[in-house]
Amino acid sequence: MGLRSFVSMGALALALTAGSAARVSAWSLEEAAKPYAGTTVDVVFLLRPGYEAAEQMIPEFTEKTGININITKLPYENALGEQVRDFVAGGDLDIALIDLVWIGNFAENGWIVPAETFTSNPDLADPDLDMEDFFPLVLNAFGGWGDTIYGLPFDNYSGLLFYNKCMLQDAGFDGPPQTWTDVMEVYGPALTKDGKYAYALQSKRNETQSADSFARFLWPFGGSFLDDTFHSNLMSPESQAGLKFRQDLMKYMPDGIVSYDHAEAVNALAQGDVAFITEWSAFYSTLKNPDTSQITDCLGIAPEPTGPAGRKPALGGFSLAVASQADEKEQAAAWLFIQWVTSKANAETYLRKGGVPARQSVYEKPGIAEEFDFVPALVESWQEGVPEFRPRFAEWPEITEIVQEWGTKMMLGEVTTEEGAQEIGDRMEAVLDKAGYYDGSKPLLQ
Amino acid sequence: MTSRVRRRTLLAFIGPSVLALALIGIGPLIFAIWTSLHFYNLTKLKQVHFTGLENYVTVLTDPIFWDAMGRTFLLLGIALPVQIALGLGTALLLHQPGLGFLKTLTRLALVLPMATTYAVVGLLGQVMFNVKYGVVNQLLGFLGFDQINWIGDPDNAFIAVVFWDVWQWTPFVALVLLAGLTTVPGEIEEAARLETKSWWKVLRYVQLPFLVPGLVAVLILRTADTLKLFDMVFTMTRGGPGNATEFISLLIQRVGFRAFDQGLASAQAIILLVITIVLSQIYIRVFYKEVR
Repeated sequence: MGLRSFVSMGALALALTAGSAARVSAWSLEEAAKPYAGTTVDVVFLLRPGYEAAEQMIPEFTEKTGININITKLPYENALGEQVRDFVAGGDLDIALIDLVWIGNFAENGWIVPAETFTSNPDLADPDLDMEDFFPLVLNAFGGWGDTIYGLPFDNYSGLLFYNKCMLQDAGFDGPPQTWTDVMEVYGPALTKDGKYAYALQSKRNETQSADSFARFLWPFGGSFLDDTFHSNLMSPESQAGLKFRQDLMKYMPDGIVSYDHAEAVNALAQGDVAFITEWSAFYSTLKNPDTSQITDCLGIAPEPTGPAGRKPALGGFSLAVASQADEKEQAAAWLFIQWVTSKANAETYLRKGGVPARQSVYEKPGIAEEFDFVPALVESWQEGVPEFRPRFAEWPEITEIVQEWGTKMMLGEVTTEEGAQEIGDRMEAVLDKAGYYDGSKPLLQ
Repeated sequence: MTSRVRRRTLLAFIGPSVLALALIGIGPLIFAIWTSLHFYNLTKLKQVHFTGLENYVTVLTDPIFWDAMGRTFLLLGIALPVQIALGLGTALLLHQPGLGFLKTLTRLALVLPMATTYAVVGLLGQVMFNVKYGVVNQLLGFLGFDQINWIGDPDNAFIAVVFWDVWQWTPFVALVLLAGLTTVPGEIEEAARLETKSWWKVLRYVQLPFLVPGLVAVLILRTADTLKLFDMVFTMTRGGPGNATEFISLLIQRVGFRAFDQGLASAQAIILLVITIVLSQIYIRVFYKEVR
């Protein structure tokens, strides 16, 4: 009896394994999508190059699957509000587009479904999904909250130094600045002349002020928004050193830098008005396109300069996750799309159309690093990034508003860096206290 | 019987309007009052709870709210007199006899700024006031002036908003006052002109009494418009730099839809509503007496 049971169990296991192997080998997108043909998946896209790239790829997906992708295009600043209102009202969105600083908010509200729900479903999970192929930092920061992965990295950024090689050569430099001290002491004075400026730091009062300007000068100088107990760290000597450095560096930036958003900063470099900018990798295609840039032949790309605490470049980007408000069919169709558009197989196509994939394998392909000259800097930056570059908890939308307001006031000289940091710190702590981080009712996750 | 029918008829005519008003005006207002008394954050709906007047206390003791309110009234205090002065001047010019075709063309042209969507005006402003590529600085350059950093400097950004508001709404004031001037009986105006050569006396004693109703309408409408001014500033400066152009409606939008604190934003909006009602009462008491 015992032996017979053992043999039967073995046979059953063998049959299941064989069946599963057969199913794995037989998995195809077309077959997996058959039950969902005709389903429409609603998603928000931004007005940025990575989304245009994906949009060009979508007809192929629809042709293969019969699943329609309905895109609502929004500027970044409207994307969070639109999605929050849609999820609160139980609207139409089937996919959540998640900036890394929104992930805590979306996950804590239960608006998104853990990826494991789909990766554990053999009918939906592509055997070639290979989650380990994503850059770990990017997967965890953009798509993960706590120990759970919700979204797959889709539109992926790291801060890079884009520079005008010709301007630098004319001023006698062989290469870009390696450290922020070089920027301040050597490159800034040499390149700010004749109506041209060394550097443009996009600092408009929106997320750009928080992410691109304020945070960029905290981390490389050893500062941070919060300490280990979740109290403000902005008055620490390191944070203050970074903020003061930003203030001093403004003399090498164009007037009115607080009104510069990404478009203005990229344009300033593209038109030859500034020698370098620190911008998201996503703007590579804009700067490399002769229709939008006059410096295509002079464009150089390097990792951001290092500070006393290391490089710690700006980290930002978006993942796509399945929305929990979608019905079962829409969720399955949404997952198939997310899995397909972020897949290893499509990474090169996405890259060639102007996107920046987070797949390690694509950057290892021969010739890619030579053809797309931002790749080495990007890969290096993703090794040295900080996931909590901006805290990713649910309270960030409130805190970023405070940072934007007082960060801009600092730059305008309306308050000192100490006064501004104190104000941000007090207000930030009030938000965190109200949320329950100090009485132990919320875990210190960021 | 007759009176009952009349009542029904009245109800049939008035009922739909009252219903529509209740649905789109009164209902949301009651909801706003309810949310203003609660902790009501769109991203924390599980934590909604009654907080009494806490949101009101927060607003009333928040210097940012009063700064935004002060900025809004400063805009009103600068832009409205300029609009009235320029509008009156334009109306008087168009009221002069002769040049019929040119005046018709001018009247048509005056409608254009008003017909332009606020958001488009703001976007145009963003482009036209661009420090490097904007047409405003190009024109200043032709005249030999240095470039002005319009949107990146707090004072200049405020001036740019005032300029744009004056550009868009002076025509409205001009058209209202022109309509007022046409109500002055021709024989009285003609007689007055025979009596005196002073245009000021004609304006003060003959034309102005006919302009007062129009001026009251302008005051009330422009005050209400300025208090809720949003689209143009949002698209042009987003309230910046710093909070140089963060007027009260931009602050409420920021709190309610970017920080998602609907409770606090509702309290701000209710306080703004109270201020608007008080102002309207003042206008009505002071100026309507004049009209009568």
